[in-house]
Amino acid sequence: MPATLQSAVPSESEGRTAFRRELFARGGETAPKCYQCGTCSAVCDLAIEDAPFPRKQMLDAQWGRGDQLAADPAIWLCHQCNDCSVRCPRDAKPGDVMQSIRALSVERLAVPAAVGKLVGNARTTWPILISVPLLIWIVLLALTNPGGLGVPAYPDAEHIGEADGPGYHVFLNKNHIYGVMFPTVILVCLALFASGKRFWNLLGTGTTRSGSFFSHLVPVVKEILFHNRFGQCESAKPRRWAHFALMWGFIGATATTTLVAIALYVIGNDLPLGQAHPFKLIGNFSALLLLYGCGALAWNRLTDAKNAGNSSAFDLYLLGVIGLVTVSGVLIEVLRLVHTDTESLGGLFYIGCWLYIVHMAAVVSLFLTVPYSKFAHILYRTLAMVHERMTGQATT
Amino acid sequence: MEQVDVFFCTGCEIGASLDMDAFEEVCDDGDANSLICHECLCSPEGVAKIQEAIDGGTDGLVIAACSQREKTAEFDFDRTKVHVERTAIRELAIWPHEANDEDTQMLAEDMIRMSLARFEALALPEKLEEEIAGTVLVVGGGYAGLTAALAAAGMGQSVELIEKEARLGGYLADCSNLVPERPPYDELQPNDIAELVSRVESHASIKVRKSTTITSITGSPGQLQVQTEGEGGPDGFTVGAIVQATGAKPYDAGKLEGFGYTENPDVITTTELEKMMSNGGLKRPSDGSTPGRVLFALCAGSRDEAHLSYCSSECCAASLKLVSAIHNDHPDTECVVVYRDLRAPGQLEHFYESVQCQPGSLFTRGDIKGVSVNGGGLKVAVENSLLGDDLDIETDLVVLATGMVPVSADGEAIRQLVDAQHRAEHGESDVQKEAAREIVAANLQHEGTEILNLHYRQGPDLPTLGYGFPDSHYICFPYETRRTGIFAAGTLRAPMDSAQAAEDGWGAAMKAVQCITSNSRGEAVHPRAGDISIAEFALQRCTQCKRCTEECPFGTINEDEKGTPEYFPLRCRRCGICLGACPERIISFPEYSVNAVGNAIKSVEVPDEDEEKPRVLVFACENDALPAIEEAARRRLKWNAWIRIVPVRCLGAVNTVWVADSLSTGFDGVMLMGCKKGDDYQCHYIKGSELAHTRMGNQQDTLKRLALEEERLQVLEVGRDDYAKIPEMFEEFAETIDDVGPNPYKGF
Repeated sequence: MPATLQSAVPSESEGRTAFRRELFARGGETAPKCYQCGTCSAVCDLAIEDAPFPRKQMLDAQWGRGDQLAADPAIWLCHQCNDCSVRCPRDAKPGDVMQSIRALSVERLAVPAAVGKLVGNARTTWPILISVPLLIWIVLLALTNPGGLGVPAYPDAEHIGEADGPGYHVFLNKNHIYGVMFPTVILVCLALFASGKRFWNLLGTGTTRSGSFFSHLVPVVKEILFHNRFGQCESAKPRRWAHFALMWGFIGATATTTLVAIALYVIGNDLPLGQAHPFKLIGNFSALLLLYGCGALAWNRLTDAKNAGNSSAFDLYLLGVIGLVTVSGVLIEVLRLVHTDTESLGGLFYIGCWLYIVHMAAVVSLFLTVPYSKFAHILYRTLAMVHERMTGQATT
Repeated sequence: MEQVDVFFCTGCEIGASLDMDAFEEVCDDGDANSLICHECLCSPEGVAKIQEAIDGGTDGLVIAACSQREKTAEFDFDRTKVHVERTAIRELAIWPHEANDEDTQMLAEDMIRMSLARFEALALPEKLEEEIAGTVLVVGGGYAGLTAALAAAGMGQSVELIEKEARLGGYLADCSNLVPERPPYDELQPNDIAELVSRVESHASIKVRKSTTITSITGSPGQLQVQTEGEGGPDGFTVGAIVQATGAKPYDAGKLEGFGYTENPDVITTTELEKMMSNGGLKRPSDGSTPGRVLFALCAGSRDEAHLSYCSSECCAASLKLVSAIHNDHPDTECVVVYRDLRAPGQLEHFYESVQCQPGSLFTRGDIKGVSVNGGGLKVAVENSLLGDDLDIETDLVVLATGMVPVSADGEAIRQLVDAQHRAEHGESDVQKEAAREIVAANLQHEGTEILNLHYRQGPDLPTLGYGFPDSHYICFPYETRRTGIFAAGTLRAPMDSAQAAEDGWGAAMKAVQCITSNSRGEAVHPRAGDISIAEFALQRCTQCKRCTEECPFGTINEDEKGTPEYFPLRCRRCGICLGACPERIISFPEYSVNAVGNAIKSVEVPDEDEEKPRVLVFACENDALPAIEEAARRRLKWNAWIRIVPVRCLGAVNTVWVADSLSTGFDGVMLMGCKKGDDYQCHYIKGSELAHTRMGNQQDTLKRLALEEERLQVLEVGRDDYAKIPEMFEEFAETIDDVGPNPYKGF
């Protein structure tokens, strides 16, 4: 018996049209051009042998099959080297379409859905995403700092750490950070867990997995840490190293935060740490990695648009926020170091204080949107790769 | 001919490859006035020498140099003053054979002999001087017809435009938009038909006759007497040429099984949707609501042996146009387009992409298995979709893209019907009556379909070839039909869209004006453009066998009541098929006749059997076979030196008596090389090659009676691109002849 439209194609006519509208708005407007020649799947270095992507995903996109696509691990196995888009004979840009599908999937799986929508529409909502955390910091500091938002008082000598100069904690201290960041991280973890669970269940529908999740997670994480699969995308070599640097820079920067806590509470160092401190070295090195990663990725988008693909708001928001975090972070350190006045914290130091607010706002924006922005690939791609292993489809 | 001169060019390796002195004797024997050799005959000095001879009274010329297709401008002399025989010594003797070889010399000498021998039976043609009407008749006021009328009027002709309906505009009058014809080709273009109509109606040189039909057309191109019946009663006028642009009808969707067209009001055709969109917009016929879902079924009945086995080429574009219009008016309505292969040729690809990329578009391949009622809507079963599943797609409105059926009455079939009806009543025997009744039954659907009502022996309308479209060569001469001076344009000629129809209107109008111009000069129109000779009938010897009237592919010859041929020179294309047909050999042209070619054949010096130099005569069609042979020579391919080639106007212009002449002259074999025949014919005269095959098939019986082997006569189909196979064809035949042995009649 032929499947009815509802079961074979779950979204009805209107749903199909609505899906296409959303997809087009997120940069997938070339999907209908696909005439299923299969060149994309043939040239893809990562395509799975039995179910090669992105050919089928292009068809699903045309048919508005959002549910199928959301449950499709293949869309996350793609690393968007854009070989397919470059070779596509009809300019249907499968690489961009896959990226748009991922953007829609992130939105579809988002918990809570409203935040997913908000971040999904970053093209128009990005000022909100940046300014709300900024406002939170400004209000918090205005209310809790003795001097409000004004120039902080020069600290006593015993409050100056190893760096032989005052640190920004005289303006924005650890309690501020704990007060904002702990709830942020908890919220993000909860959201990630909820979305991840939804995705994991969707992936598992109708398939048989074998082995334990964690035993498969270990090799996947290893693969991700070394970017083995990214390396298989022949034409994406420069991007692979940029992303590799960015990822390790991010890991390094996050680790530094933990290490600073250890320095503060376990070792008993005073903040700020001196430039020769091993933790400081790790932090600075991470910053360099982040700078290189962000810069190279942005450069790639600017100079090699053909291979980089369409730069949608989905892509640019994440790159922009990470860039903002990195640049502001480096700048505030530089400003602190070049501030030579030993009596007042006005001038460069005070500019650094405000940059610190911007930096922390960007950090909050970055963290809060992890489950809803392009950053969510950290979750979905990992899960898809674990799923791939557990269903025996893994190619590596 | 009074005075025949032989001008021999010694350039292009010719002089160095032959014993030129030997030709003096050949020319003397052939009664030539003189032999003039020149090292570069096509140079101004060479041409001046020839002109000098003509001015001095030479009325026959043999130009022994290169192919008749070369140097045509240089060797163009007044045809009423001198007859020129071009003999291609370079292509047919020097290039394909060894230089300074005995066999090559014999061949070249034979070629001169053959050319000279013709003159005995030739005369200079007299130019036809008739009064030619300059008016162009355009039949059909659709896009192609309107364009043709404006084009012809723009070229200075007066135009009569006849339209059966009460309004002009044809199919496009019901359309609100056109497919894009201008860059960037990605959006609908406003329909400008109303403007075109008003330009035609207000044009001083165009007389528009609406609600008018043609009751009869008599005469020839240049002098066609047209009788009409219209609003103001009967009328008559004379025209020089006709453009028929009577268009096409949509295929009857009621004949399609499974689509539910007759049962369900919400299953309509693209034509009906087109009308609906321009008269109040998109509505479901059943309840008047605006459908949220529309499904287009492409190829409904097209490319289907049970219905229309061809592709109408325009239904995809028409559907794209409608989808685009629906998106513009109703952005929330989803249009699902189910196609087998979506064909958007040329710039239409851009339009296709732009329509496809609308959020409300869904294009999918698939075969539609049926349409059924589903609650208040419809359900369409689709197989072989790209999704891989069999689908049931729910929809509110199904639009069938049906193909085009040309409105071209099949003149030959109507004639057969009339003949058979007559025989069925007045037949000589019951058997004949019964046979006639079968023909009547088979052709009854043609009754009363006449459009042009031509008073031609072969029927009142254009003959058709396949699928009811008028017969013509779609690449070489697209607007020509099998009736000289009548040109087909628009969807009558082939399925097409509006842009192509407009181009067609222009093309056909230009051909019509060319026809009038050529006729005014007393010259043939096509394909022997410029030919001034006309056929002569020695009617006192005519046996009224009707072969010429029946076999002429162009309906040139009518019959009187006794069956005596009545020749209309202005309808004639000078192919000579009648000359090939006539068993009494009463038909000839001044410079191409049964005797002239017969003399040429008989002039060849056939060596005795013991010299072991067999001879093969090749009749090569000038249109494709001869150029292919010459192309082989140009590529310096070598072939058997036994071959003697006689160029003929068409394989159909080969009279069977020439075969007898050849064999009695001592030729060991005869080859006929002509164009491809059949439905995909390449014959420039449509039926010539086919007729030659039939006639030569009959000739095999004659060979048997003469105790000659049937292998000695062979008819081959040669394409223009077959040049590489030419030496092999000759060699194979030579081997066959070698196996069969010498012609026993040699030397008699």
